Amino acid sequence: MISFPNSGFVFLKKLMIRVGGACLVLFAAATLTFITLHLAPGDPVTAILGGSANPTPETIREIREEYGLDQPLMVQYALHIWHVLSGHLGASFSQHMPVTDVLWQQAPPTLKLMLSSLVLAWVFAVLSVTLSARKPFFDSAFSSLETFFAGLPQFWIGIILLWLFAYQLGLLPPAGTHGFSSLILPSLSLAIPLGGFLAQVMRESFKTTLDQPFVLTARARGLSDNAVRFRHVLRHALLPGVSLSTWAVGALVGNAVAVEFIFSRQGVGRQLFLAVSMHDMPLVTGIILFISVVYILASFLADILYVIVDPRIQEARA
Amino acid sequence: MSATNSLPLSLKASPRLRLPAGKHIGLALALLYLTLLILAAIAPHLLAHGNPYGIAPREAFTAPGWQHPLGTDQSGRDMWTRLIFGARNSLVIGIGSILLALSVALSLAIPGAFGGAVAEQCVKWIFEILFSFPAVVLALLLTAIFSSGTFPLIVAVGIGAAPGYGRMLFGQFLTIRHAGFIEAARSLGHSPAHILRRHLVPNAFRPLLIAGAMGVGQTIIWASSLSFLGLGAPPPAAEWGTMLAMGRDYIAEAWWITFFPGVAIVLTMLATTTLGRFLKNHFETSSS
Amino acid sequence: MLARNTATHTCKAVFSSALLAALCLPLAACHKNKHARNATSPISGGTLIYATDREPVCLDPHVQGDMPQVFVAQQYLDSLVSMDKAGSIHPWLASSWDISPDGLAYTFHLRSDVTFTDGTPFTAEAVKANLDHMANPATQSSTAGGYIRQYHSTEIVDAHTAIIHLSRPYAAFLEVLAQGFLGIESPKALARPRDLNCQAPVGSGPFRIVRWDRQNRILFERNPAYHWAPSYALHNGPAYLNRIEWRFIPEPSARFAALQAAEVDAIDTLPPEAQTPAQHNADLWLLMADRPGNPTNGTLNTRRAPFNDARVREAFLRSADIEGALGSVFFHHYRRAGGPLTPTTPFYSPDFEHAADYNPQRANILLDQAGWSAKDADGIRTKEGRRLTVHIPLRSSLSNSERTLWEQVQATARETGFDVLLENADDTSVNAREGQWDYDVRIGYWNTNTADVLRIVFSSEFLDAAGISGHHQNESGFSNSYFDRIVNEALLTTDTEQRRNLYYQAQKIASAAFLQITTFPQTTRLAISKRVHDIRLEPALNVTTLYDAWVEQ
Repeated sequence: MISFPNSGFVFLKKLMIRVGGACLVLFAAATLTFITLHLAPGDPVTAILGGSANPTPETIREIREEYGLDQPLMVQYALHIWHVLSGHLGASFSQHMPVTDVLWQQAPPTLKLMLSSLVLAWVFAVLSVTLSARKPFFDSAFSSLETFFAGLPQFWIGIILLWLFAYQLGLLPPAGTHGFSSLILPSLSLAIPLGGFLAQVMRESFKTTLDQPFVLTARARGLSDNAVRFRHVLRHALLPGVSLSTWAVGALVGNAVAVEFIFSRQGVGRQLFLAVSMHDMPLVTGIILFISVVYILASFLADILYVIVDPRIQEARA
Repeated sequence: MSATNSLPLSLKASPRLRLPAGKHIGLALALLYLTLLILAAIAPHLLAHGNPYGIAPREAFTAPGWQHPLGTDQSGRDMWTRLIFGARNSLVIGIGSILLALSVALSLAIPGAFGGAVAEQCVKWIFEILFSFPAVVLALLLTAIFSSGTFPLIVAVGIGAAPGYGRMLFGQFLTIRHAGFIEAARSLGHSPAHILRRHLVPNAFRPLLIAGAMGVGQTIIWASSLSFLGLGAPPPAAEWGTMLAMGRDYIAEAWWITFFPGVAIVLTMLATTTLGRFLKNHFETSSS
Repeated sequence: MLARNTATHTCKAVFSSALLAALCLPLAACHKNKHARNATSPISGGTLIYATDREPVCLDPHVQGDMPQVFVAQQYLDSLVSMDKAGSIHPWLASSWDISPDGLAYTFHLRSDVTFTDGTPFTAEAVKANLDHMANPATQSSTAGGYIRQYHSTEIVDAHTAIIHLSRPYAAFLEVLAQGFLGIESPKALARPRDLNCQAPVGSGPFRIVRWDRQNRILFERNPAYHWAPSYALHNGPAYLNRIEWRFIPEPSARFAALQAAEVDAIDTLPPEAQTPAQHNADLWLLMADRPGNPTNGTLNTRRAPFNDARVREAFLRSADIEGALGSVFFHHYRRAGGPLTPTTPFYSPDFEHAADYNPQRANILLDQAGWSAKDADGIRTKEGRRLTVHIPLRSSLSNSERTLWEQVQATARETGFDVLLENADDTSVNAREGQWDYDVRIGYWNTNTADVLRIVFSSEFLDAAGISGHHQNESGFSNSYFDRIVNEALLTTDTEQRRNLYYQAQKIASAAFLQITTFPQTTRLAISKRVHDIRLEPALNVTTLYDAWVEQ
């Protein structure tokens, strides 16, 4: 892969640390969920049975046994962690179905939303940066625009887009999770602020890269302005954007909650909110673990992408 | 270089908002707005005459006009008054959470940068964990324990924002460590307190100030997204996010109820970002 | 799958992408097909897309039992009997019945030609299995189970004769059997684990459940063998619609916008702000009816201060300007319900509508009389150093309009000196608090087709929840032995005049005790596209039934 000495050993060590970190993240997520849901007021039995039910003492005893609620806290915690490790996520109290089934249904729409928002944000950012870095006037105008977009709250943008394109103009559906057309407005709501933020970061990186000595060298070699920009500088400028995308994935999940509510979309964001309000421990744990896994994968992917995109490493090879 | 070591927030010089008429119009506007905001938070009665909590149901959904410059909401309360009185909530939450975030960030970044390799790796892991736990989740869980209100909101947003600033400061401190100030100072025989005072604090102070200034706008947005979901202060509190949320049902009949709180949030964000940028440029040019 | 919507939307989606890129230049959208309106007789076939606001937790209405569940149940379940608008009971799955003179044994003669959609035949076994299921504590049935507390057992005489034995006479028994909550499910399906039956329960109704996509929709398909329609239906035989898509769109403005954009064909829970636009929209027609029962209300907890004092309760009722709220966030589309029963409930009396109108002067006098005459710096009344605080837990599932109503109550009550605290919390925490009587006002309602609701909501029989923390239907803590006697007597007789008299007295007592701030009647409010015909409301609870519905092709 990378032709540095001792790379194999170093790489393996790094991988171990990363995997260790990932496991730690999952472990911490499971623990945090357990602690907070146990601290929350409300008997878990009522949560399991659904609140308005009229349980008899026998039923309550059965539920306590089945879910191990009679055991001391440490034992419950150990059981909880054991279940998580063995992939046995259990059944959701509020949805009355296995947690894995809930995730299977609700995860794809959120993943689609996150992916399309990220892609759109990147498109906006790259276009904005590359098209405007010519004249100083465009530069500051676009930069102001980016700052403005970066400061827009996702839920507000979502409501305005909904009002304009769905209610007033009737061009796009106001709700639902079917097909491409219902994905446009929600993705835009998330992509516009993220795009503004990415653009700002990449713009700065673009600028500083333009001042680097190797750019002068490239120009001295006779490369056209465009070639310099797109072949060399852009790749450097993209790097902080790549690492930012990892953070963005985490942030997108949080912002997706409001967007999924506004557009009545299926998704783990809305599901998580509802699960917490029902004190549904297995489902909350399952969703948080899912989010952590997605974040870790995104992190790995970003690292790999970084290595691929980073021209210094490629040039070192050449 | 691993992607995860890169800084999510850059501290390099950035382009100013430049207009033909004057370089600092943007800054002037931002400062004006922020002054207005702080005034609204401290002495709202100077800027608004009505009662933000007194309902007048027969005047509900009045469009913006002479008597009510921004219209009235679904209970007949004047929007301008509600926004002004809501500024206090927003500023308290914004400043409170940024202070909490920076405290947590510092308490992680300092041991991480200067505590040795093990501490460094531990802190990196802690950041990973905090990053992968979205602030919304934390806020939901906290609200489940403490019931909704300003305090859980500040804690949730503060802890949610902490890893971002933590990583930034961490990187900054690593740079200082690698730059050799510390070794040089130690070899000269200076005490740790002296090193702290002369090198760490000034080098940390500036990025903290910039991050703090820009961060207030960001935390206000996060807090309003949480109160949008119903996790904010209970009624009749005039919180911008809650006002936005309650107004969205009426967007077809009374767009102003949702629109203006959003404008307030956006303006606050723009003002703080402009201020932060200015500080950043100012410190960059003065330190080089 | 849904060709009509996909085609128009792919067209629209591509177009709008281009539009957005061109910075919002207004251009004509894709042409919406206008259907010829010349069909007046039902056409078989087609799909109906129906959008509602709340998703049920379980599709089996025996489990727990709330309104979203019974709306779904009405499409795939039949009941033993049906009720018409006048309150008379008609045969349905039971073709006739005899009641023993002591009122303790109901002999039902069942239809012999009914099968469930899983092939199981409908027999007396099924009746027994269903009633036992509702009465079984493991089912956790708060609604159906609550209605048949008098149920003792079912005796199977032969395949099509069942005798239901009650422990006490129950004049309202046939009325509750007509509700969708007590719909008859396949005994084979009931024997499955509860969670499995929640996912895809089986009935004998005009439609059957195909699939449930959580947070998205339920898909129903026609039951081709159906020919045992109730007497209130317009036709007999299989339903006209091929398929129903039952969608969940919780956002009120989005739900109405979906109807206006022809994304969906019918919506329920039409938001009050959308009613006037809907009335002015020539492509829509409205179908609305009040649901009988105890109206939407805030029930006062009489078991603790400050509402253990009847004068303070009356003062609080008189400090709430409900009319103002109904005029603002409800746009004058919701009527005031002032008494303990909705006008469409049998034996309702209008004499109690204005028993506690907004009257702050009277409220102030009452509070002074009750000893809360001192006021602190904030203007809140105090008595022996304690503030006049009222805790109202608000569920996260409460609609924005109702939330605003209670904010307005908070504001007007403050003027008379009450410190009303609206406490937002998630549903589970609120349930827990309510189970422990830790509230001063509890927001709720009770839909049912009988005046017996007064017994469920106000008699001491429903004060306890099996002794352990759990829902107690009587949320006020009201316990009056004379009241208990009257409402139980009303169950012992089938004489209409006697029942009317007894229920009048019951309403009078409940009203005079100032136990609830009643706000508005629960209503079913549908807005329907003119392409869709004959969506009707089943007369017992005014629940949507799509059996007679058909769409123009």
